[in-house]
Amino acid sequence: MEPVKSKVKRRRLGLGLTAISSAVLLASCSSETEWGRIGMPEPATKEAPRILSLWQGAWVASMLVGVLVWALLIWAIVKYRRKSTDTGIPEQTKYHVPLEIMYTIVPLIMILALFWFTARDQKILTQNPGDQTHSVNVEGWRWSWAFNYLEEGAYDVGTAGERPTLWLPVDEKVKFILTSPDVLHSFWIPAFLTKMDIVPGQTNEFTVTPNKLGVFPGKCAELCGVDHSRMIFDVKVVTRAEYDAHIAELKAKGQGGVIDTGRVVEAGE
Amino acid sequence: MAILDKPVSSAGDFAPTKKGRTVIKWITSTDHKVIGNLYMITSFVYFMIAGLLALGVRAELAKPGLQFFSNEQYNQMFTMHGTLMLFLFATSLFAGFANAIMPLQIGSPDVSFPRLNMISYWLYFFGGLTVIMGFITPGGAAGFGWFAYAPLSNVINSPNVGSDLWILGLAMSGMASILGAVNFITTIFTMRAPGMTMFRMPIFTWNVLLTSILVLMVFPVLAAAMLMLESDRKYGTQVFATENGGAILWQHLFWFFGHPEVYVLALPFFGIASEILPVFSRKPIFGYKGLVFATIAIAALSISVWAHHMYVTGAVNLPFFAFMTMLIAVPTGVKFFNWIGTMWRGSVTFETPMLWTIGFLATFLFGGLTGVMLAAPPIDFHVSDTYFVVAHFHYVLFGTVVFAMFAGFYFWWPKLTGYMLNEKLGKLHFWLVFFSFHVTFLVQHWLGVEGMPRRYADYLVSDGFTVLNAISTAGSLVLGLSTFVYFWNLYITHTRTEKVTVDDPWGWGASLEWATSCPPPRHNFVSIPPIRSERPAFDLHHAEANDLSVEARKEIADYVSGKGH
Amino acid sequence: MKFGGKLFIGLTIFYFLVTAVYWYMTQEVIGTTVLALTGGLAFLIGFYTLFTSNRVGALPEDVELARISDIDPDYGFFSPHSWTPFAIGLATWLFILGFAFARWLMVLGTLALIGAVAALLFEYYRGEFVK
Repeated sequence: MEPVKSKVKRRRLGLGLTAISSAVLLASCSSETEWGRIGMPEPATKEAPRILSLWQGAWVASMLVGVLVWALLIWAIVKYRRKSTDTGIPEQTKYHVPLEIMYTIVPLIMILALFWFTARDQKILTQNPGDQTHSVNVEGWRWSWAFNYLEEGAYDVGTAGERPTLWLPVDEKVKFILTSPDVLHSFWIPAFLTKMDIVPGQTNEFTVTPNKLGVFPGKCAELCGVDHSRMIFDVKVVTRAEYDAHIAELKAKGQGGVIDTGRVVEAGE
Repeated sequence: MAILDKPVSSAGDFAPTKKGRTVIKWITSTDHKVIGNLYMITSFVYFMIAGLLALGVRAELAKPGLQFFSNEQYNQMFTMHGTLMLFLFATSLFAGFANAIMPLQIGSPDVSFPRLNMISYWLYFFGGLTVIMGFITPGGAAGFGWFAYAPLSNVINSPNVGSDLWILGLAMSGMASILGAVNFITTIFTMRAPGMTMFRMPIFTWNVLLTSILVLMVFPVLAAAMLMLESDRKYGTQVFATENGGAILWQHLFWFFGHPEVYVLALPFFGIASEILPVFSRKPIFGYKGLVFATIAIAALSISVWAHHMYVTGAVNLPFFAFMTMLIAVPTGVKFFNWIGTMWRGSVTFETPMLWTIGFLATFLFGGLTGVMLAAPPIDFHVSDTYFVVAHFHYVLFGTVVFAMFAGFYFWWPKLTGYMLNEKLGKLHFWLVFFSFHVTFLVQHWLGVEGMPRRYADYLVSDGFTVLNAISTAGSLVLGLSTFVYFWNLYITHTRTEKVTVDDPWGWGASLEWATSCPPPRHNFVSIPPIRSERPAFDLHHAEANDLSVEARKEIADYVSGKGH
Repeated sequence: MKFGGKLFIGLTIFYFLVTAVYWYMTQEVIGTTVLALTGGLAFLIGFYTLFTSNRVGALPEDVELARISDIDPDYGFFSPHSWTPFAIGLATWLFILGFAFARWLMVLGTLALIGAVAALLFEYYRGEFVK
């Protein structure tokens, strides 16, 4: 039996460490820094912060569980090490039903909680209410992109060597309609914290409202062949005036109408 | 290799054999121990080839710009890396360990169908050869990723014959896995020694049983999908044509196989951990029945989660799959706590097998946690198909398969070969792998979340991915080099060490394989002790500590005196 | 073996339950079909295993207090070594290479496979084994 005093001291130390580390953890959850966002880019749409906070919450919960279990593991290694002076064998405990039930039920409750938050968020994020101001038919094909600005009646297209830029007006809801004439691709804008696959034979859609000005990288995120890593694009979120000017520029260049790569999509779909 | 020169059986016949005769003996063997060795050697060769491919991938990604390979070659490298690792290394390593160890653990003289066992091996061998043959064809190997998504894998988008060879080779080695599973299940159901009831079987054997059941359920789906794909390619059928929803059909079929496949890969190695922890903690495995039921739950649930690989396709029901996927974390967690519970209040020593097992526990935990995050569709929308997923699955797969593989090798080496591997080198090997693994893969989580997609041969300077990629590549180099420590260990073990003379060199073995010689005779046991608990060898060797009834103790004492040990 | 049969039947029930829930929640055809077929396969194996275990009765391995000597001393025949697995592997390989490269190889492979399987089946009915 170890002396009571050192046991109390160790418990205080343990609690102290836990308190400090939780404080550090929670403090660093500020979304201003990349650490605080745990690697995620700064959200650039109205919907994205929801994903960011689910991510941060998931990490906090995971780290609490992880630290606890790693601590148990390290404790077992340190405390129950067989010393060279030890002989004989320890008590041959085979089971402990209440404990086993506890560590079945508690994780179950935790994942039920996670599921509740997840179900709530995914319902909101996947809805397409139909009240968007703009719709862009994004065509992914081996190995670049075409953007059909459906309401405005203009298009833009790129090549693997010269990536295209998708222009979007800030604070206006846009629906992306994803089509492909050839293989699977995926339309990913990291700053929007979301992607959706482009499935040939199927039309996928999602709706977002960009709310940050700037230029954001975009990437194809589904292996589509040789130049998959060159199938990138930029997203430029600008003021409405700049956006209209750009559309006019496209039309002047002769890029009015719709570029047809074998699939026809109507405005307002 | 030195190991091939040693006679397979130890029980008395020692006419020195020429190398040619030994090769024939191995080609025509029907002994599960030899077949297990063949599987383990062949799968390790594939492990090394796939490792080299990975080094190529990492070399290319260290800096922006294409330095060493073309895009085409790069695609083939990661495709074959994944394929070789998952199908030709890990799945067959399961067959290797199951063959080598399971019959010994249940006290049977061999498996139920010895020649079928060898047929499985040869189907695997030639199937694997077919897959890898793609590299020497003019169009190169398959380059459509190990999941071979349609329509990228059709004859228009991937016309090279290497793709056909990939598909057919996998169908063939898939057949091998199915036949192996039939063999293992039958053996476990019908050839246990008297007194070895189902709930006295070692946990490793339970896991072999449940893995085999999974294999039986899902490999036919893979085989069917592969044959349909090949039929589309060769005979113009339209099964996976995009107009018929072929792209999504392929994904459903592939992932229905693909997700249980990763549990096929994980469960046997969980079983290895469950064998090693009790031995080096000098305590029984904690919560035996709980472990068995948790494993059954994992096996059953794993069939219902497949479309979490398809969240971003917009074609699957998110709540159903998110819920089932999160649910699977619960029995996995139960197993984890049972493992820690085995060490708890035990008397733990850290020989090499135990070190590797603890390494597995520490690594798998992190991979499991990121897995639960990935189960949430909103999070997955961002990180799907990025390096975050790559990091996750390397943590769970490498953490489980490779760490537990080496744990199993160091643990059972004396049983299978009669020699103990060197402890100091073993520990050096472990620490090199442990550190370099984490250096390589921890940073990849960050890369993925930041915006780096997977399967990219290259990235822009402006992406800002360079530093982390360089770190990851540095780690991978050390990881590759660590294999030499292991080979040096094998070399000095088989040329300079003394043979093991006892049944149980570790001293605290619990399961039946530790009650026969190292290595065992041709049909495994000259005599079998009475089986009165799930730890027959422990009951025999540590009679003072077992908790058996008076009658059972007498039986064991009679056995000992009868044998004159 | 009875436990094994019950395990498979348990899995069958689970899979059919999941199939029902899946269909109710998603109306998705592919997943429902594969799940149902998996349940069917589990049922096939479970039914056969239970049927066999009833026919065979209790085995010594399922008896808690069984002695090692309880087992039937004539364990059965174990093939000591055999060329037929290698032959079957090689023949199958020829067959699939034929699939990939040339039809005549497929024919050759099929013939070789028939021969190898025949050899496998009749290996222990020849020569010294003729009864």
